[in-house]
Amino acid sequence: MLFTSHFSLGTGVPALALASAGHSGAAGLLAHAAHPETADGLISGLAHPVSGADHVLAMIAVGLWGAQLGKPAVWVLPVAFPIAMAFGGMMGLLGIPMPGVEIGIAASAIVLGIMVLAAARPPLWVAGIIVGLFALFHGHAHGTELPEGANGTLYSIGFVVATGLLHAVGIAIGLIHRWDWGKPTLRGAGAFVAAGGAFFLYQALA
Amino acid sequence: MRWMLILACLISLVADAHELRPGYLEITEVDPGVAEVTWKLPVVGTAREVPKVMFDADTQELTPPNERLTGDSRVFEWKIERTGGLDGATVRIEAPDGRFRDALASIHRLDGRHTTGRITPERPTLVIDPAPGWTRLAATYLMLGIEHILLGFDHLLFVLGLLLIVDGTRMLVKTITAFTLAHSLSLAIATFRIVEVPEGPLNACIALSILFLGPEIVRKWRGGESFTRRHPWVVAFAFGLLHGIGFASGLAVTGLPHASIPLALLWFNLGVEAGQLAFVFIVLAMQRSWKSISLRWPLALRRAPGYAIGILGAFWTIDRLVATFLI
Amino acid sequence: MTFTDHCSRIPWHGAGGALAHLVQTGFGGFYDGMAHWAITPEDVLVVLALTLLSALGGKDRVRRLVFTLPAAWFAGGLMALVFPTLLPPMVLTLASFGLVGLLVALNRHLPDAVFVLLVLVTAVIHGAGNGGAMREAGLGWLGLAGACVAVFVVASVLPALLVRIEKPAGRIAMRVGGSWIAAAALLMIGWWFRGG
Repeated sequence: MLFTSHFSLGTGVPALALASAGHSGAAGLLAHAAHPETADGLISGLAHPVSGADHVLAMIAVGLWGAQLGKPAVWVLPVAFPIAMAFGGMMGLLGIPMPGVEIGIAASAIVLGIMVLAAARPPLWVAGIIVGLFALFHGHAHGTELPEGANGTLYSIGFVVATGLLHAVGIAIGLIHRWDWGKPTLRGAGAFVAAGGAFFLYQALA
Repeated sequence: MRWMLILACLISLVADAHELRPGYLEITEVDPGVAEVTWKLPVVGTAREVPKVMFDADTQELTPPNERLTGDSRVFEWKIERTGGLDGATVRIEAPDGRFRDALASIHRLDGRHTTGRITPERPTLVIDPAPGWTRLAATYLMLGIEHILLGFDHLLFVLGLLLIVDGTRMLVKTITAFTLAHSLSLAIATFRIVEVPEGPLNACIALSILFLGPEIVRKWRGGESFTRRHPWVVAFAFGLLHGIGFASGLAVTGLPHASIPLALLWFNLGVEAGQLAFVFIVLAMQRSWKSISLRWPLALRRAPGYAIGILGAFWTIDRLVATFLI
Repeated sequence: MTFTDHCSRIPWHGAGGALAHLVQTGFGGFYDGMAHWAITPEDVLVVLALTLLSALGGKDRVRRLVFTLPAAWFAGGLMALVFPTLLPPMVLTLASFGLVGLLVALNRHLPDAVFVLLVLVTAVIHGAGNGGAMREAGLGWLGLAGACVAVFVVASVLPALLVRIEKPAGRIAMRVGGSWIAAAALLMIGWWFRGG
């Protein structure tokens, strides 16, 4: 895009500044191009946790299990999980290797599903360690997958918010636990999650 | 009273806030494809480098830009010709450092069509659209209205004064509504030139209306009674008429499309109301919040807004009287 | 701090260099300053985190926040405007609001003096970063004043609303919010290290 400078104000002398005008025109275009890109960071951050079915299942299972365990686990887990997950993500970004990440992620849906299915009630700290470990794995693997050109800050925020909302969905479903008919239904949902996890593991290995 | 001195010092920093105006670009087609361009900029400080108006490569200038100084504006006038007519022409404003206050573009075509648009640093380019919709006009004047009130420090100060004087939600709604009705009414009257008021005395009167509120606020602190305390909406209505004429002069400076004055006026007014309501809600929300956490500012800070209104009102009154009658 | 500033301070992974994006409302420096603050994620998040921390701590805490936060912010910003070399390192900015988020998640009762000190330190750090961004964007003290007024308005209204929430579920939601903020800070630190 070429612009003809009509005059340079202040002197009032007409001046042709094709080169400089063209240059600033391009700069203007760049400045505009930056806008959708920054929005991309947020949207891809929001979309990422939702796009992987294994991740979605594991996050919802955390919510389901929390609701099944009742207080205080129902809120300790959603408070602790994002921090543990982000810590895993930070380790991944710093290049600190984590052994067994792939197996850990594949196993997470199965293990959490079985916990819900069995209505297991370990002490809170045991549940915390199980969930925290999986959170580290998920963060390590997924937190680093920033799409080309996206904004890291907004991606981080989007990623955390979407994960938190998945927990909320799990907890909301898990609230059926308070009714008699809900308890077996919830355990059925656990079985579904475990089966889904097994399917993904099989797919990953095959 | 040391802090009053500090306040008085701050005045010099903010006192000319109201004088900030957007630039105004007028393109009038005189022959097919030939147009006269007027680029009007408020004089700000001693800035030598001012934003430039650039057209696309199909456009040639027929005459060199001619600069003149009118009152408080720098005006550049020149003639352009574009091969293929003005439809689809691109106008761009460029500042040396990429920063400028927004500008209003008004484009009059030979066949009577008229386009307006707002050019901002975010969107420095305007395309002369063969068939612009009314939405662009609406958006342009809505933003102008919001801008006018947000930068109209004196108007906001008057509204703040009203908020400080009035007690109770009912009376507050009544007072703000009276102010809104009055300035909408006089804005329309002045825009259609049913009444014409010279700008100098008008500005002095607006300043006087702010000064008037200062003692009323002090009277409220002392528990005194007055007509204003009992019927603040009457005062708001009366002075609102003045402020509306002030809005109209702001609108006149930026220019109005002759074919669609009522529509432009409506959206400008809506913009002013939106900005004013936002200001009122923010002030009220803060007052309520402080009350709900039983926060009590030190006496000096609690009194500061009242004194600021009185001092600034007095300063502006003198300043504008001197500017009108002595210079 | 602006996106422009961020791009120059955080080398984004894969972003391929800085893309300048100045926020200009067209309403002048004061409102541009407000807009700069509002679209700078970590500056908004630190205000949110301090809001949550004070709201969980009760009305006394909220009262302290209303004045301390914007005043310290302004002081930090002025410092950065006057001494351009005094910019805080980005990692300190990120760590400070991550720490506040973590404290919200833990919901530990802090002694009054510690709380005030925490507000002062985080506000000065973020204010200084903000002031540096304002200088770079050419907005100067007017832009900083706009940002501080925005912080003042939010710090006046939001904590006063949240402090009224007494239901356990509401307070837990606030702690979850703190945990999200801390998590976002950890990830941002990761990105920052990877870029640097």
